[in-house]
Order: sequence, then C-alpha cells, then structure tokens
Amino acid sequence: MEITIFQCIIVTIIALIVISLLWLSFSVKPKLMELKQAHVVITGGSSGIGKAVAAEVLKQGANVTILARNQARLQKAREELQQYIKDKDNQKILGISVDVSHEYTAVEDAIKKRVMDANFIGSVYPTRAVLPYMKERRRGRIVFVSSQAGQLGVYGYTAYGSSKFAVRGLAETLQMEVKPYNIYITVNFPPDTDTPMLTEDKLNMPRETILVSETSGLHQPDEIAKIIVNDAKRGRFQSYVGLDGFVLATVASGMSPVASLMDAVLQVSLMSLMKAISFIFIANFNSIVMKCYKERESQKQK
Amino acid sequence: MEITIFQCIIVTIIALIVISLLWLSFSVKPKLMELKQAHVVITGGSSGIGKAVAAEVLKQGANVTILARNQARLQKAREELQQYIKDKDNQKILGISVDVSHEYTAVEDAIKKSTQELGPCDILVNSAGMSRAVSFEDTDINDFKRVMDANFIGSVYPTRAVLPYMKERRRGRIVFVSSQAGQLGVYGYTAYGSSKFAVRGLAETLQMEVKPYNIYITVNFPPDTDTPMLTEDKLNMPRETILVSETSGLHQPDEIAKIIVNDAKRGRFQSYVGLDGFVLATVASGMSPVASLMDAVLQVSLMSLMKAISFIFIANFNSIVMKCYKERESQKQK
Repeated sequence: MEITIFQCIIVTIIALIVISLLWLSFSVKPKLMELKQAHVVITGGSSGIGKAVAAEVLKQGANVTILARNQARLQKAREELQQYIKDKDNQKILGISVDVSHEYTAVEDAIKKRVMDANFIGSVYPTRAVLPYMKERRRGRIVFVSSQAGQLGVYGYTAYGSSKFAVRGLAETLQMEVKPYNIYITVNFPPDTDTPMLTEDKLNMPRETILVSETSGLHQPDEIAKIIVNDAKRGRFQSYVGLDGFVLATVASGMSPVASLMDAVLQVSLMSLMKAISFIFIANFNSIVMKCYKERESQKQK
Repeated sequence: MEITIFQCIIVTIIALIVISLLWLSFSVKPKLMELKQAHVVITGGSSGIGKAVAAEVLKQGANVTILARNQARLQKAREELQQYIKDKDNQKILGISVDVSHEYTAVEDAIKKSTQELGPCDILVNSAGMSRAVSFEDTDINDFKRVMDANFIGSVYPTRAVLPYMKERRRGRIVFVSSQAGQLGVYGYTAYGSSKFAVRGLAETLQMEVKPYNIYITVNFPPDTDTPMLTEDKLNMPRETILVSETSGLHQPDEIAKIIVNDAKRGRFQSYVGLDGFVLATVASGMSPVASLMDAVLQVSLMSLMKAISFIFIANFNSIVMKCYKERESQKQK
C-alpha cells in the first residue's frame, strides 16, 4: 500500500514539473518573424556567409542594409544581390562603408548608417547600436555568427576560436538581458564554409587543422544562410548545421536557452549519448595531433 | 545460435572499446607535479585569487614570481607573503611590475628576467584581470575592448612568453582563471563573461596544441569570490546579477587557491568549486579534455541528469530577470 502512494506522489511531482515546464515554454515562445518588408542589417555582408544571408532574406521580401569596410566590394555585392529582389518597387539594398570594430560612433552613425576586435567588438558595436530601437519597439532578432571552433577547441584556432567563444558568451549573456523586450538572439555555429575568408586561411593552415576540420566537411554559404534565416525567424538560440552540428551543439549546449519544451526534452534524453560519442571524436583529434607531432619531430631530425 | 554469436560480437566490441579507452586514458595521463623548488609565475599576484595562489604554493615549497602593474602593491604583497615561506634559505618571492596586456615585449622581458633569477617557469597562473557588472547598454562602450584586453590578451601574452621554455623542457602547467560567467550567460556580464568564455576557448584550443609536449592546461571557473575586484563590482551591480549570483554564494580566495593548485598539480583541465560548480562544469563541459577514464564515465552517466537540473536553474534565472524588469517598468510609470 505504502509503495503505491509513494509512486503516486512521484508521478504527480513529475507531472507537475512537466506541466510547469510546458507552461513556461509556451508562455514565452517567440512568434515567427515574417521577413516581408522587414529591415535586415548584415555586417560583413559583401562576401561569404553575410552575402548569402542577404540573398536569402531578399528572396523573402526584406529590405537589406549591408555594412562592410571596402566601398568597391560593397558596390559589387549590391549589384550582384539585385537579382534576388522579388518586388523591385518596394525592396531596397543599402550599402554603408564602415569598420564595425574600429570606432563606435562611426557604427552608431551607420546604423542611424584584428581577430578578437573584428569578431567580438565587431559584433558588440552594431548590436549596441540597434538595441535601443529594438527595445523601444519591443521587437527584434539579433544573429551572431560564431563557429564550430567557438564550441570546442580546434588546433590552430587560438585567436579565432577564442573570439568565437566570446561571441557565444556575448549572445548567451545578452539573451538573458533582452528577453523581457521580446528580442531573440540566434547564434549560428557554421562548420568550414566555402568563403573568401576560408580560402585565405587555407594558404597557411596547419596540417592538424586541415585533418580535424575534415570531420565536418566543407559547406556552401547559401546552405548556411538558409539555416541562419530560418532559425532567426523562429528565434531559436542555437543554430547548427547538419548532424555533426547537432551533436556538437547538444554536447556544447551548456546553459543555452532552448526554443521549446520539445528541444529541452530532446537535449536531456540525448545528452549522455552525445557526450559518449564526443569522447570518440576527442580521442580521434588527439591522435591526429600526436601523429602530426611525431611526423614533425622525425623531420626535424633529418 | 545466431543470436548468441551476435551477443558475443557486441560484448567483444564493447570490451575492446573500453580497453582502448582505458589504454588511451592511462597512456597520456599527466604525472603529479611536485611544488618543492618549482617556479610558479602568477599574473595579478598582488591581490585576490592570485595572491592566495602565491600563498598556497609557497606553503608547498615553491619559488614565486608575481607579475602586476602597481609597484607599491607588489611590494606590499611580497611582504605579506613572506609568512608562508617554509624554507627561508631556498625559497624566494620575486616581484616584477608589468602590464600583461599592454605590450608583448615587456611581458617577454619580465618572463626572461624571472627565468634568470628563479629558473624556467614550471607553472604559469593567469590570474590578472578586471571586471564590469552592468547591463549591456549601461556598459561604457570602451569597456568591451578594455575588459577583453585585460582578461583575454592579458592571458595570451604571458602564456606565449613561457611556452617556448615549457616546450623545450617537455614540462609545464598553465592555469587560466575563467569564471562561472564564462560557462553560462549571466545578466550584467556581457563584457566580462564574454572575455571569460574567450579564456576558456583559448585554454581548450591550446591544450589540443601543447598536449604532445607534456604541457597541461587547467582552467578554473570560480564563483563569486571575496576579492577587491568583486567589492568594486558590487558598487553598481544590477539587481538581476546580485540575485542570480546568490545561487552560488560567496567564496574566499584561499579556498579557490587550494582548488587551483590541486588541479594544476594533477593536470586536470576543468577546475570547479563546490557542488554547483561540479554541476555547471559537467553541463558546460562540451568537448573539454578529461583527466581520467573515471571522469569520462562519470560525465557520460551524469550528463542527462545534470542537463535536466540545469533547466530548473535557467527557468529560475529567467523569472528573476522578468520580475526585475516588471519592477523597473512599474517604477518608470510612477
């Protein structure tokens, strides 16, 4: 008899917890943001992932402002992006030349128009500039492009990876602060993407970095862009690419917000399995590093 | 008959995996580093956690170099630390005034000087840093660079300076002091927390690179610690930050120091404080290295449970933020 009552209490407590979580989850769920006539500001929008995101949102009817340093590349990108405009009378592409990590007042003006500086400060300044407008309207989405190297340590990325860890930290801290204002943060973690930035990296890339990065393969900017835009519209915090991206995002999710109760349940149930799988990857990466180290040492002796 | 063979194969595969993991685990396990006559370099060593670490390693027989900017505070710290020396004839405390985030050549020179006096560095403790606890929009716009420079670049330069010596000797420990705000987003810490996330990322990336050289990285995640830095933060701390931080409580620098020294000696990557620190470190462990097979097994088995518990904390933090928001909005209307 006693055991049955105990079981009833346990089941009731679990049910109450599930119901509270469900209520919590749906009471503060972001609404889908429609892109028609939305104003999307994209830093680094004249090439790579930024340009692909511009193309994607133009196809969905948005107006776009591209911020980049080089005036000529801005102009070229604006011309290339014209083809994606659906409604020629009502859609505009604005290009503003500014270094988003150099001087805040210039960025502030751009919105009214070095590796940690470029990636972290270059994300802080534009975010700071748009936030007052978003808070006033109680509406907005801010996307940060981090990297898989911002979720785990990858040989060769001490400067880059740290800046991308910082971007993830900024996104997670900021989301806590702006949630009451109906502003939702998305942080995307792309794997290697076929952009001018990566092409330049590859010129001098350490062998270890090449071998470790092969695990996730090479992706195209438009694929990343579709995922970014989709997740931003839905106000999903963690934005990942592919199955390996899903495993990594789950393992490295830490205390990141989740988009729905379903995501929370999925994460909790898969967490231990994903963690076990991740140790196989860690062991693999360590053996790659050790192999390259031994090759280099034996070459030194010749 | 077939099912039995299948089961045999499965069991054999599992056994092989376990044996490989065991072998991997013990073949690259760091040896315990003895502190007697070891040379420990501590940035930010004239106050707070850094000074407490200096005291702790002195008690264990080490020689200490303290790097800090302010000459007077360096001198005062050196005098205070004399009491912890066990062997007055063979233990020394060296103090060098330098800004570890300003100019790399100055940092390199400081390390060179300390190497000449006390020998090559066995353990580097990156404890220098600064903090800001204010909402994103109330943060002085220049503070994002300032805090990132002090905490991130201020960890990069000394690490870069000692690494050639450690690589040559195939021996060394490098400690980074991150923060719980570097494991999860905490209201009010957009500048500080991001810099501490960056420090964790640096530690994890660096460990991958230096592991073949028998150099082990430790990254410590202190909760609120009773230091001058925190005292200053509290002057203008947002209510949300105070309430969220209360979850982990306030700790003393010597408690943190003992944990840092213990974990550095053992070459443990993740260094946490208390039970809440353990939960957080497990949940936020991501792809961090583990010290032993035991740790790996523990993490895997507890991961799902820890994750479930963490959602309760997240929900709690979100309700704190919403409550403070509503209070502020209703005060605006008065």
